[in-house]
Amino acid sequence: MWGDAWGRLKTNRIAMVCLGLIVLFTILAVYAEGVHVYCKINDVTPSYNVVDLSHDYEAPSAAHWMGTDGLGRDVLDRLIQGVRIAYAVGIVTSLIAIPIGVVLGCLAGYFGGRIDDFVVWLYSTFASMPGLLFILAIAMVVGKGMIGIFLGIGLTTWVSLCRLVRGEVMKHKEQTYVQAAKALGLGPWRIMFRHILPNITHVIIVTFTLRFPAAVGTEVFMSFLGIGVQNQPSWGLMINSARMRLWQGMWWEMTFVTIALFLLVLAFNLLGDALRDALDPRLND
Amino acid sequence: MSDLLNVEKLNVIYGKGKECVHAVKDVSFHIQPGEIFGLVGESGCGKSSLGKTIIRLNDPASGSILYKGQDVSSLEGRPLKTYRQEVQMIFQDPFGSLNPRIKVGSAIIDVLSVHGIAANRTERRERVEELLDAVGLDPAWAWRFPHEFSGGQRQRICIARALALNPDLVVADEPVSALDVSVQAEILKLLESLRATRKLAFLFVSHDLAVVRNLCDRVAVMFNGEIVETGPVADVIDNPQHEYTRKLLAAVPSF
Repeated sequence: MWGDAWGRLKTNRIAMVCLGLIVLFTILAVYAEGVHVYCKINDVTPSYNVVDLSHDYEAPSAAHWMGTDGLGRDVLDRLIQGVRIAYAVGIVTSLIAIPIGVVLGCLAGYFGGRIDDFVVWLYSTFASMPGLLFILAIAMVVGKGMIGIFLGIGLTTWVSLCRLVRGEVMKHKEQTYVQAAKALGLGPWRIMFRHILPNITHVIIVTFTLRFPAAVGTEVFMSFLGIGVQNQPSWGLMINSARMRLWQGMWWEMTFVTIALFLLVLAFNLLGDALRDALDPRLND
Repeated sequence: MSDLLNVEKLNVIYGKGKECVHAVKDVSFHIQPGEIFGLVGESGCGKSSLGKTIIRLNDPASGSILYKGQDVSSLEGRPLKTYRQEVQMIFQDPFGSLNPRIKVGSAIIDVLSVHGIAANRTERRERVEELLDAVGLDPAWAWRFPHEFSGGQRQRICIARALALNPDLVVADEPVSALDVSVQAEILKLLESLRATRKLAFLFVSHDLAVVRNLCDRVAVMFNGEIVETGPVADVIDNPQHEYTRKLLAAVPSF
C-alpha cells in the first residue's frame, strides 16, 4: 500500500522537487545542529554569533555570500541556524500536538457518548479562541524562549487533527473488520491503536506536513514580536532586525530570510497536498 | 440432547423513542450441538441483527440467550471474552472483514495471544499454519496481506480466524452471498466438512433457499423481525405452512 502511494508520488514532478528541497533543508538543519552542539561543547563562540562591527551591513560578496547584518555577523550562517530553529519548532510542536490529537480523536470517535461530548467540548473551546492570542498567553505563562514556543504552538494546534481522527475512527468503527475484531474478543485499546490507527496513518502524515510550516510561520511571527526565540538566530528575529535598515537599501538579510521561509513553507505545503492525493484510499480501488 | 443455544423471546430495538426500529420481535429458537440451523428471510427482515445479537455485537432489548444453559444476553468484560471463545462469527463481506494493513497470519496470532491460546511464538505460528491448512490454504501464505487474496480465499481466512478459538457455534452471516457461484460451492463444502470434523454447530443466515436446503438441518423463516415458521428443512421448503414462506419460495427462480 505504501509502495503504491510512493509510486504515485514519484510521478508527481512538483512533489519530487519539494521533497528534494525538504531533504536539503533537513541536511542544513542537521548540519546547523552539529555546529551548535560542537560550539557548545568546546565553549567557542559560534561563527553565527561572532560580532565584527568593522564589517557591518556588508552587501553579498565572496566572503559573505548573503552579506552581513548590523553587528557584522554572516547572514548565511545565521540563516542556516534559523533552519535548525525552524525544524526544532516544527518537530517538537508536532510531537506535542499529534499525540494529543490522535489519542483524543481515537477515544472520542471510538467510544462516543460522554467521552465524545467531552472531547468535542474541549476542542471547540480551544478552536473558539483566537489562535495567536492563545499561543501568546501560554508563552507568557511559561516564559519567553523555546519552551514557550513549543508549548504555545503544541498545545493549541491539535484541534484540526483531533477532528479529522475522530471522524475517521467513527467511519472505521462501523466497518466489518472492526466488528470482526470485536466479535473475536479483542479489547477496545487493541482495536483502536493496532487495528484502526494503521488505517488512518495517512491522515496523520498529511497533517504533519501541513502543520509543520504553519508552526514554523507562527514561530517566526512570535520571534518577530519579541516573545519567541531569545539570543538565537531565528528567522523571525532576523526579519525584525533587517526591517530597521531596509529603507536604507540593506535588502539582503530580509530577502534571503524571506526566500528561505517561503521555500520551506511552500515545499511542505505542496508535498502535503501531493501526499494527500497519493495516500487517498479512495483512489486505490 | 441438551441445546447448545436457546434463544427465548428475544427483542432487538435500535434507537430510542419515536424513531426506534424494532428489528427483532419475540424471537425464540434453539440450536443443538453439531447442527446447521438456517435462518432465511428477505433483506431487512432482521436476520443479521439476530445473528449479531447472538454474538453480542448488539445488545438485546429483552429476552434471553442461553448458551449451554447460561444466560449470555448481558455478559460484560471477562465473561463476555470467554463467551467469544466459544461462539464465533463469519461475515458476509470477505473484503471488509480483514484489516487491510495486517498480514493474515498476524491477524490470527493477534486473536490467539489475546485469548492466551498457545504458549509462545513458535506454537502460535504452528497453530496459524494448521488453521490455514484446515481451511484449504497454503500455510506459507500466512505472511501476506489480505489484498493479495481472492474473495473465496479471504473467506477461507475468515473461517480460519473464527476457528482459531475452537468455537462450538459459528454464526455465519451470509458467508457466501458475496462470492461467485463456483466459489460458493467450495466454501459450503468446507463448512460442511468442518461440521463433521470439529462437531461445529452453525447458525447459517442466508437469503438463498437453494443453499439453505442443501446445507441446513433445520430452518427458521423470518419476516419483519419475527420467525414465522420453523422446522426441519425438508418440511419447511417442500410443505410451507405460512403465507410468507410460500411467497418466498415462489420468488425463487426455477430453471
